[in-house]
Amino acid sequence: MSLQAGGPKAEAAFREASLACLDGLFGFAMVLAREPAAAEDLVQETYLRALSARHKADLSENLRGWLFTILHNVWRNEVRRPRLERLDEADVSRGPRSVVWLVSPGGPHEELERVRLRETLRQAVDELPSRLREVVILRGFEGFSYQEIASILGCPTGTVMSRLARGRALIRRRLADHPSRASCEAGR
Amino acid sequence: MRTMDCDSLDLLVSAYVDDELVGEEREAFEAHLRQCRRCRGAVDEVQALLALMREAGPLHRAPPGLREMAGRVLARPPSPSARRWPLAVAAALLLGVAVSAWRQWPARRPAAGATTESSEFASLGADTHLRHVRGQLPLEVRSERAAEVAGWFAGRVPFNLTLPDYPIGSEERKPYALVGGRLVAFHGDYAAYVVYRMEHRPISLLVASASAVLPRGGSTVTSGALTFHLETLAGLKVISWTHRGLTYALVSDLPEDGARSCLVCHGSDQERRLRPAGPPPPAS
Repeated sequence: MSLQAGGPKAEAAFREASLACLDGLFGFAMVLAREPAAAEDLVQETYLRALSARHKADLSENLRGWLFTILHNVWRNEVRRPRLERLDEADVSRGPRSVVWLVSPGGPHEELERVRLRETLRQAVDELPSRLREVVILRGFEGFSYQEIASILGCPTGTVMSRLARGRALIRRRLADHPSRASCEAGR
Repeated sequence: MRTMDCDSLDLLVSAYVDDELVGEEREAFEAHLRQCRRCRGAVDEVQALLALMREAGPLHRAPPGLREMAGRVLARPPSPSARRWPLAVAAALLLGVAVSAWRQWPARRPAAGATTESSEFASLGADTHLRHVRGQLPLEVRSERAAEVAGWFAGRVPFNLTLPDYPIGSEERKPYALVGGRLVAFHGDYAAYVVYRMEHRPISLLVASASAVLPRGGSTVTSGALTFHLETLAGLKVISWTHRGLTYALVSDLPEDGARSCLVCHGSDQERRLRPAGPPPPAS
């Protein structure tokens, strides 16, 4: 069904499709704002602007990308504090360590380790510099293509590629520092 | 085929796993993988990481309250009709009357057991004030000129916001300064958030349509046809009231009884002389 502004069915389709993006938008807002109240404000503002601007946009193809773009623009233009996060290139240059043990099969103990690893993963993503965190989330959890991410963030596709590589490298390094790593390696 | 340097391929590993490498670039990378154990290991590690991320699922889920709010926002008609109220006179008048309410603050605290729930709007005013003070809510317009700030709100809020600019005489020092304003999302629409500064302390004025919210809770002071709701929230003095279709919340952490925040609209020496501390004048 067309999402273009029009009759009641189109309105309902727009509403439904927009609400389906809510978790993703909130997750992205949390990545940017890092605090629930501010993230909620960001999402609410995104929906308000989407509602008022929807007649200007062609929503038939990528409503989700459009909403994420609005949210990022709101953040970039009106909310973000002027301080820019600096990438720690030294950390990146040290490179990732092995995380092969992440996919090793195992019993309950390993399953418990996986739970801990998931929490470690959350922390690792959360600790990334914001510019890396953005692309990691948009690709890893939202499944946007590099081109879509570039459009959302307003940067070249090559920048998306490099930020994603650096972000993942930092996460891998953080995961490799997980306390259980030694025991996993010892079992190899 | 050009020999690939492993150190220069780190950027391509992620792109390859994401299926973002195409054409000759992909063919060259795959050819390199066939003969490079290190890069194959790097690909395995990125794939393992992505598998873990898929397994972990979204890091955040929208809270139920946000989902309800989003539903309300999206249920709005696309082009809401704007109500227009002459705010300048109303704000000046109301804030002046508010002086009376502030001055009654110590004597009008609710008796034990008589405390009612906090007003949603007063809470929003206090929360917005705090977040602004912490630097979490930068202003979208910055100016000491009331007309400029008010003009910025035109068309952005569903009412006509004309900020008071007290006519200070040439020999009289302005006791406050307008800092600026921004929009604050509220009930599927916007409230106007305006910041003043007095003695290096911020004073916040939040204005929204009365159709979206009415003040309630706290202790009340009636002045003429108006009822002021007085609350202390997070250590801040908050006074809220509604008049002619608009709801206001005035927030400050000024010492004493906070009545000085009302000097934003009533800051002349003459007026201060006419309004000494003590019982408030009868409401006009």
